[in-house]
Amino acid sequence: MKYLVLLIGDGAEKPWSEQTEEEQGAAMARFGAFGDACDARDGVRILAGEALSGPRDATVMRTTDGRVHLTDGPYAEVIEGMGGFYLLEAPDLDVVVELLRVLPPYDIQIHPTVDVEL
Amino acid sequence: MGDASGDLEQVVREEWGRLVALLLAQFRRLDLVEDALGDAVEAASRTWPADGVPANPPAWLMTAARRRVLDKLRTEDVARRKEPLLLLDAEQHQEGVRTMADAGSLVEDDVLRLVLMCAHPALAPEAASALSLRLVLGVPTADIARLFLVPEPTMAARITRAKKRIVGAGIPFAVPDAGVLPERLEIVAQTAYLTFTAGYSPGTGPDLLRADQSGEAIRLVRVVLGLRPDEPALVALLALMLLQHSRRDARVGDGRLVLLADQDRTRWHHDEIAEATRLLARPHLAGPLTPLAASYVLQARIAAEHATAPSAEETRWDRVVGLYDVLLRVAPTPSARLARAVAVAEHHGPVAGLDALEGLEVPQSHRPAAVRAELLSRAGDVDAARAAYDQAIAACRNEVETAFLVAQRDALPAG
Repeated sequence: MKYLVLLIGDGAEKPWSEQTEEEQGAAMARFGAFGDACDARDGVRILAGEALSGPRDATVMRTTDGRVHLTDGPYAEVIEGMGGFYLLEAPDLDVVVELLRVLPPYDIQIHPTVDVEL
Repeated sequence: MGDASGDLEQVVREEWGRLVALLLAQFRRLDLVEDALGDAVEAASRTWPADGVPANPPAWLMTAARRRVLDKLRTEDVARRKEPLLLLDAEQHQEGVRTMADAGSLVEDDVLRLVLMCAHPALAPEAASALSLRLVLGVPTADIARLFLVPEPTMAARITRAKKRIVGAGIPFAVPDAGVLPERLEIVAQTAYLTFTAGYSPGTGPDLLRADQSGEAIRLVRVVLGLRPDEPALVALLALMLLQHSRRDARVGDGRLVLLADQDRTRWHHDEIAEATRLLARPHLAGPLTPLAASYVLQARIAAEHATAPSAEETRWDRVVGLYDVLLRVAPTPSARLARAVAVAEHHGPVAGLDALEGLEVPQSHRPAAVRAELLSRAGDVDAARAAYDQAIAACRNEVETAFLVAQRDALPAG
């Protein structure tokens, strides 16, 4: 199964900008540990994963009657605090949750993908 | 010829969860397995009375259900075959397909997988509870609907939604790593307790006590304890449930609520009280416990103080208050504070009880007002008691309890 993992909010983690250098180092180490944990786990692969720039850099694209409208900012509040994402290949939800415990305690949405045949 | 329908009922009651688990391990089709097994039971109800009960009833049901699933798979259109399957863990993939003849431990693992899947933390608690009753215990959907006070189509839709979510979200039919398992078993315990309390003290409706549902919740805990006998939260929870359940026949008389102090103690189920007492004496409940297990142990010990007192007057209120003091440190809930206030009133008098109630509110509950009314009445403050009864009656959603509160209010001396 493939899962889109959205790091949607700071949750129990102090916002990045308020963290000391040591705290930021510790958070980065957890991302490294998460990568290692995924590598070490059978059937798990990180297919993609990136950090996102701030919400003010986001653009929303909507198409009405064939015309494209662009607006600045994220689409919805839930995405407002999104700091990054992973696309994970993993056997099931339990394995995903277990591995994500390695990351800093963000609020996270875990969303399975589906195969779309064209 | 024996009593075929009685035999069938018993087989279904005892084997349903195991059969569901085996069928899921083989076919991974949560949407088909339950109906197939239902069809098999229906076929048995027609043929067993005529042909006699088969030598191995569960194997008969398994064969019939398996045939139904295969029939369904054969006639299914191609598009449906692309639907996602229930996820199994890696170990099961290696084991491949197993049959009834397999070693017991493998089958028991499958039942544990089923229990953990139904009570998965990614499911809503009510959905987990309904699904556990349906898939692990085989309680008919109509009965689950009645127990949860919703129309049958609503309950059927809730169960279907939960099954779809399991497959869609990738909730596995699997036993998690040893490090996570205790935490997951605590969710099973919470699911069972939710099932139990819905029956024990419903917020609404005409039935004060739905002993059936409490009995099913106890059965669910027994199934899991059969697989994990020493899990502290489950041992303590079973003791707590048995103690509360043991009073079922004495709690209602002529459709009216009978308070603990006024209950006929000979009508309590003393075999269940004895079993609970033995469970509470188990050595692994003495060690360090998780907060959940500790709160079940303390609640059970409080219930045991009541259950083992020869009469209401001989209740050791000093010990009850002491246990509540500890419980409030472990799990400071409003309902525990309320119960402690009642115990304080019994031990030190109504004025001390009223002091302990000070500032306590339980959202959407009539109970704090009802207790305050009772204690004000005992303290001789009739006007304040009447006002508190009015408040409690206005908030009460249970017909039997409302009738009780009205009777208490009307019995107050004219003020």
